[in-house]
Amino acid sequence: MRGLMTKALATAALLALTMGAQAKETVVWWDFLGGGDGVRMKQLLEKFNKENPDIEIQATTLEWGVPFYTKVQTSAAVGEGPDVMTYHLSRLPLGVSTGTLREITPDELKAAGIDAKNFTPANWEAAQVDGKQYAVPFDIHSVVLYYNKDLLNKSGLLGDDGLPKGLDGVENFNAALKKLKADGVEVPLSTHTAAGDSQWRIFYSLLGQQDVPFLKDGKVLDGGDEQKAVDTLKEMASWVADGYTPANVEYPASIALFTSGKAAMHINGVWEVPTFTDLAKDGKLGFEWGAVRIPVLYNHPATWADSHSFAVPNNKGKEISPEKLKAVLTVIDWMNKNSLFWATAGHLPAYLPARDSEEFKTMQPNATYAVLADTAVFDPSSTIAGVASPIYEGMQNYFVPAVNGQLDPEEAVKSLKDELQGLIE
Amino acid sequence: MDRKQNLTALLFTGPFIVAYLVIFIYPTIQLVHLSFTDAPLIGPGAWIGFKNYIRLWNDGQMWKSTFNTFYFVLLTVIPTTIIGLALALMVNRLSGWFQSIILACFFLPYILPVSVVILIWQWVLDTQFGIAQPIISYFTGKPVAVFRDRYWAMPMVAFITIWWTNGFNLLLFIAGLRNISQDYYDAAALDGAGRFKQFVYITLPLIWPVTALVLTIQLILQLKIFDQVYLLTQGGPANATYVMVQYIYKQAFQLNKGGYAATVSLALFALIVVLSVLQYQVLRSRGQK
Amino acid sequence: MIRRLNIAGGLISVFTVLCAVVWAFPLYWAAVTTLKPEDEVVQSGFGLIPRIWTIAGYAFVLLNTNIARWYMNSIITSVSVTVLVLVLSASCGYAISQLRFTGRTVLWLAILASFMVPTQTLIVTHFVLMNDFGLINTLAGVVLPQLIVPVTIIVYKQFFDSIPKDYREVALIDGAKEYQIFWHVFIRMNWGITTALAIITFIGAWNNFMWPFIAVTQQAKMNVTVGITQVDDAFGLAYARNLSGAVLAALPVALAYLIFQRRVTQAIMLSAGIKG
Repeated sequence: MRGLMTKALATAALLALTMGAQAKETVVWWDFLGGGDGVRMKQLLEKFNKENPDIEIQATTLEWGVPFYTKVQTSAAVGEGPDVMTYHLSRLPLGVSTGTLREITPDELKAAGIDAKNFTPANWEAAQVDGKQYAVPFDIHSVVLYYNKDLLNKSGLLGDDGLPKGLDGVENFNAALKKLKADGVEVPLSTHTAAGDSQWRIFYSLLGQQDVPFLKDGKVLDGGDEQKAVDTLKEMASWVADGYTPANVEYPASIALFTSGKAAMHINGVWEVPTFTDLAKDGKLGFEWGAVRIPVLYNHPATWADSHSFAVPNNKGKEISPEKLKAVLTVIDWMNKNSLFWATAGHLPAYLPARDSEEFKTMQPNATYAVLADTAVFDPSSTIAGVASPIYEGMQNYFVPAVNGQLDPEEAVKSLKDELQGLIE
Repeated sequence: MDRKQNLTALLFTGPFIVAYLVIFIYPTIQLVHLSFTDAPLIGPGAWIGFKNYIRLWNDGQMWKSTFNTFYFVLLTVIPTTIIGLALALMVNRLSGWFQSIILACFFLPYILPVSVVILIWQWVLDTQFGIAQPIISYFTGKPVAVFRDRYWAMPMVAFITIWWTNGFNLLLFIAGLRNISQDYYDAAALDGAGRFKQFVYITLPLIWPVTALVLTIQLILQLKIFDQVYLLTQGGPANATYVMVQYIYKQAFQLNKGGYAATVSLALFALIVVLSVLQYQVLRSRGQK
Repeated sequence: MIRRLNIAGGLISVFTVLCAVVWAFPLYWAAVTTLKPEDEVVQSGFGLIPRIWTIAGYAFVLLNTNIARWYMNSIITSVSVTVLVLVLSASCGYAISQLRFTGRTVLWLAILASFMVPTQTLIVTHFVLMNDFGLINTLAGVVLPQLIVPVTIIVYKQFFDSIPKDYREVALIDGAKEYQIFWHVFIRMNWGITTALAIITFIGAWNNFMWPFIAVTQQAKMNVTVGITQVDDAFGLAYARNLSGAVLAALPVALAYLIFQRRVTQAIMLSAGIKG
C-alpha cells in the first residue's frame, strides 16, 4: 500500500514538473472597458495571446464604475482579485488608501523594461503615492464635442475647415443652441443627463476654464469658488431647462440621440470614437461627423482628463509570484508598445513613442482634438476623487437632480461641499 | 433525563447547534465587537470605544437612510395589506379551475427571483420604449425616467415590491376568509343585514387576526429592503432611495469600513428585534384565541 | 333583489378578471418580448404577438454568457441548501418534540429568538467568517450562511408534536433505534410537509440575491439570479436579450410552482403560522 502511494506521488510530482515546464503562465485580467473602446481592447487581447505563446490572458469585462471598483476592492481584500486590472489614475490615491493596490518596485519595472522616460513626468507621477509606483499609465482620455456637420452647417455654425465655429463664450454657445433649436433640430446638445460621471466631466472642464480649484489645501470649493461652482452648475442646468438638452437621458440613449441624427452636438468621452467611426464606415450614420475639443465657454481652454492605467491588486494572503508578476509586466509593456492601435479607440497613448509617432499625428479624429492634452485638467489628487469616488457619488446624488431641474443648484453645491468636506476631516 | 437520552438528543440536535453557533451566534458577537473598532472589512482594527456610535448619531446619510426605510415601509405595508385583502375578497368569490387561474395570475410574481422582477419592470417602465410610459404620459404630459426622478423613484420601487410580494398576503387572506364559518353570514342574512353590513360586522373583525399577521410580517420584511433598491436605483437620485441595508453594504463593501458597517448593522438589528417582539406579541395573542 | 345581486356579482367577476389580466400582463409582456427581434422590440406600438418569431435572444444568452455555468451553480447551491436545511431542521425538531434532554428549553427559546434576527444585518460578519474559512468565491460559501431557517424547525416540531406519544414508545419497546423511528415513523408520516417545505426552501434559495451577490466576485461562481444582472452590454439595444436571461432564470421556480401549486400554498401557510 505504502509503496503504491509513493509511486503515485512520484508520478504526480514528475507530471507536475514536466507540465510546469510547458505550462503557460496564465494572467487573469479584469477591465471595465464596455464602451466603444471595449472592442478594440478585445482585439488587442487576442493579438497578445497569439503573439505570446507562453502567456495566456484570461480576460473578464466587468461593469464600469462603482460595480467594478467595489468588486476589485473586496476581491483584493480577500485575496481573490485578478493578476492585473485596468485602473483610473484619478482613483489611485483612493485605491492606495484602501490597500487595494500593490506597489510595483523600481527593480521590477526595470527588469520588465518599463521606463519612466517613455511617459510624460506628470502622467508617470500620477501613478504614484508617496513616491511609490502603483500603476503604469496606458492612455490619457478626455471628453470631446462630437458634432453633426450637416446640422451645424444648416445653422451656419460650420466653418470652411469643417470645424464648428461661433461656439466659444457662454453667450455664443447658448445662442448657437438657440439657433439650432429654431432651425428645427430636435436636440441641439445631447449629454447623459442621468449620469453623474459625465456631468462631472463637463462641470470640471468648465471650472478649469475659469481656474476655479475644486479642492485646495484640503478645502472643497473654498470661499468665492462656491459661488462660481453654483453659477457653472446653473449654466449646465439651463441647457435642460431651456429645452436644448433632454432631461434624464441614460448613457446609451444619449449616444443614440446623436447617431440617429436627432442631436446636433454630443459631449462624450473619446472612447466612443470607435462607435461613430465604425458606424460611418458601415454607412449606417447618414451624416458627416467630427470631434473637437470642448468649446471655451469661459476664460481659456481646459478639458477634464483622466488616465487608464494598469495596476496589480494587493491580493491579501495570495501574494503574486515573481513569475506571474513578470508575465503581468510583460503584458503591460506589450500593451503600451501596441498602444497606437489603442489610439484608434479615441484615446491618446500615454506611451510617448506611440504618441510622438507620425502615424498618430495624422490619425483622425484624434489629431484634431489632441491639443486638449496641453490644457487638460486632471481630477484633484485626493482620496475623495476619482471614478467611483465620493465626488462621483456626489455628482450622481446632487448634480444630476440639479442639472435636471429637480434640485436647486445652490443646495446641490452646498450639499456636495458639506458631504465631501466631512469626508476629508 | 438519563445520559443515553441526552446523547441521542445531542446526535439529533448537534448538527443544527453547531451551525447555529458558527453562522449565527459567533457572527452576532463578532458584529458587536467590530462595532467598537475602526477595522476595515477584512483585517483587525483598533478599539475606539463608542466613536462609531457617536458618529452614527451625527451621520446625516444614516438618518436619511433610516427615514427612507420607513418611507418605503409606509408606502408598502399598508397598501399591500389592503390590496391583498381586496384581491382575496374578489378571488374568494370564485370557484374551481377559474379561481385557480385567477389566483395564479396574482400569485405568480411572488415566486420570481428579484433580479427577474426588476428586469421585467425596467423594460415595462423604460423611458423610451416602456409599454407603461403612455399611461404615465397621460398624467404627466411626458415620459418619466421613473428611477431617475427624486419623487417617482421610491414610490415606484414600492409599487414594484407590492406587485412582486402581494401573492403571499393574498394567500394568507384567502385562508383566513375560508376559516370564517358560513353560519355567521347565514344568521346575519336572516337578520336582514346587507352585504356591506356583513362585511363590516362579520368579515372585518374575523379577518383581523390575519390582517394583523400580514401587517407585522410585512413590516419586518420591508424594513430589510435592499435588493430592489440596489438593482433599480442604487440609492439615488439625490439619496432619495438610500435605505439602511444599502448603507451597510456601502460602508462595508464600497468604503471598506467594517467597523462602522457593523455599527449600522446593529442599529438596524435593534430596530428589527424591537419590532419583532411586537410581532411576537401579536402572534401569541392571536394564538390564544 | 336576487337579479340585482347577480348583475353586481357578474360585474365584480369581470372586474376581478380585468385585475388579474393587468396584474399578470408584465409577465406576458416580458415573455413575448424575448421572442421578437431586437429591432422589432424598439418599434413603437404594442405588438402583443411578435411579427417575426425568433429565439435569437435566448441563443445569444446561451452562447455568449456563462448562463449554463450560473445555472449549475444555482442548482447545486439551492439543492444543497434545501437538503441541509431539511436534515438539520427535521432532526432538531424531532429531538425537541420527542426527546427530553438537558437544555431542551434553552434550545427551543434560542430557535424562537433567532426567528427575529435579520440575516441582512449579518452580511459583514458572514463575509469575514467565510473569508476566514477561505470560502469566498466557493459554492460552499454561498450555501453555509443560508442554513439557519428557524421556521422549518418550528413547523416540524408542531407536526411531530401532533403524533401520539405511543408511536415512539411502542417502537422503542419493539427494539427500534431512534433514527429508525425518526425516519420510518415521523418523517414518513409527514412526507407531505417535508415536500412542501422542500419546495419552498428550494424556491427561497434559488431566488436569494443578496448573499450570493456578496459572497461571489468571480463571474464563473455566480448564481443565475446574480449573473443575469451582469449580462448588460454597452452595445446597442439588448432588451430581448436581457429578458431572455430573466426568463431562463425564472423558469425552474415558475415550473416548480405550476407543478406543485398546492404544496407551495401549503408551505406558505405553514411558514406564516397558519395550518393549511
